[in-house]
Amino acid sequence: MIKVENLSKSFGSLKVLSAVNAEISKGECIAIIGPSGAGKSVFLYCLNALETPDSGSIRINGANISDKKIDINKVREKVGMVHQNFHLFSHLTVLENIILAPVKVRKMSRVAAVERACRLLATVSLVDKKHAYPDELSGGQKQRIAIVRALAMDPEILLFDEPTSALDPTMVGEVLAVIRNLAKQGFTMVIVTHEMNFAQEVAHRVLFMEEKGIYESGTPDEIFNDPKKAKTIAFIKKLKTFNYNVRSFDFDLIAMSTQADLFCGKYNIDRKRINNVNLVLEEMTTYILRHGYEKSRSPDIAIMVEYGDVDKEIMIEIAHDGKNIDPFEKISFMAGGKGSDTDDLGIFMVKKIAADVRFKNENGLNKFKIRI
Amino acid sequence: MEIIDTICGSIHANLIEGKAYLLILAGLKTTLVITLAGLFSGTILGALFCAMNYSKNRLLGFISKTYIVIVRGTPVLLLLMLLFYVVFARTRMDAIHIAVIAFGLNSAAHIAEIMKAALDSVDPGQVMAARALGFTRSGAFYHVTLPQASRHARPVYQNTVINLIQWTSVVGYITIADLTRVINAIGARTADPFSVIFIGIMIYLMLAYVTYLIFRLSDRKKRAVG
Repeated sequence: MIKVENLSKSFGSLKVLSAVNAEISKGECIAIIGPSGAGKSVFLYCLNALETPDSGSIRINGANISDKKIDINKVREKVGMVHQNFHLFSHLTVLENIILAPVKVRKMSRVAAVERACRLLATVSLVDKKHAYPDELSGGQKQRIAIVRALAMDPEILLFDEPTSALDPTMVGEVLAVIRNLAKQGFTMVIVTHEMNFAQEVAHRVLFMEEKGIYESGTPDEIFNDPKKAKTIAFIKKLKTFNYNVRSFDFDLIAMSTQADLFCGKYNIDRKRINNVNLVLEEMTTYILRHGYEKSRSPDIAIMVEYGDVDKEIMIEIAHDGKNIDPFEKISFMAGGKGSDTDDLGIFMVKKIAADVRFKNENGLNKFKIRI
Repeated sequence: MEIIDTICGSIHANLIEGKAYLLILAGLKTTLVITLAGLFSGTILGALFCAMNYSKNRLLGFISKTYIVIVRGTPVLLLLMLLFYVVFARTRMDAIHIAVIAFGLNSAAHIAEIMKAALDSVDPGQVMAARALGFTRSGAFYHVTLPQASRHARPVYQNTVINLIQWTSVVGYITIADLTRVINAIGARTADPFSVIFIGIMIYLMLAYVTYLIFRLSDRKKRAVG
């Protein structure tokens, strides 16, 4: 249905896409993932010629859309698009937003367009908002309306450009539910997304974009659980880990704890273990800052938390380039925990919480591995 | 009672004697003609300058920008005098026509800026969304950009109209008997300027209020349709 060959695109001297090839068949749901700036959105915008490629061809149902002779507006009628920031027409009501293109572009009768719009609105449970203006709606409602507006043109393909990235976390669910529903109906869809669980669940195929092109592609299972190439592996690993760097004595402890909380929350880790993770992070960083570094130099502590899907274990890795001290050695020495100061008490607590603590010094880098 | 008698006498002397009210009406008509014709030509010319500003041709953009800077930065009275005493001095052109040209040229610069600001305030994302739905460039402009831009421009445009009415009061310098000049003449003749100036103020206020009403009414109509 869509065939992309040797697609290249630059902005000035910045090359964004280089010789990209892809094929999307009817009824397929494609998720595009990858780091920011990898050209995911640009690729999507090329698919309905909102961006003009420098070279290469994109064929939709056989028609080359970069061909000057082709009526691009006719092609776009068949390719629906949902944008990150909704872009509803702010001077029109919800209903007028939906019927504008069907009436003005496809010359549908107003009555038929309104009837169809109401039917579509019902599928996203927003019929009662039909006379509201966009600025009276929540983000989630706006995005559902934007999806309906695209559907009203009866498209054969739907493109989603990070449909939930501009939403409050509480509203992501309602929009994903609508998209999930469309996927079930067998719509041909291309979704650029950062919602990895969603991508894994609805997509038939996942494209990982990196290095100006499609770096690796495969089924969700292949990409998320068994990636083959180095950058995909690193990307997926980073998704599954929490990383934080401490580079100042006055680091933002609250930010670190909140982010760690959020990370653990994603895996439904229970409250007690989350508190333990936070306790370990806090005690270890405080200890390292106080004993590992002279006040005169700036610290560099890299923290990584990883959750094992299979063994349900939390692994905390802390690396710093300060003095080579192993606080745990000292603690085991004073069996019974007769710690003299509060720092020792902290380390004692870490030791009690952890299932296993390991320390080693490699090339001047001190590494702790703490298993919980 | 004496005060009322004095006021009545003054009004009588200023308005009724010598049919001065006819003069005032004629002055009002002149003021309105210059304002409306100036506004009409200014709006069309302003749209043209605005379009030039967006054109890909650098020269057109430069001309438009320079014109706007010069005209906005100088008093309209000097432009009026330049046209009357220099440019059209040798022609037998009617002074009122010259005034219309001057106010058209002057308000064009202001209106071009208003239009540009209004067009720039429209979210480009919405235009992109319209293009993605299959609208042509002009279709997207007509159905998305223009309605939103005109909504943004309304209050400022209304202001311009009210300002223009008042600016026309300088046309007396080039011999035109507009409202202000007529009032000045009557006041001088009767040697009792207070009441006639007061009447003049009331008429200008009324014009401003009528402008406000017209804008409000058309706004409401638009809301009802939209």
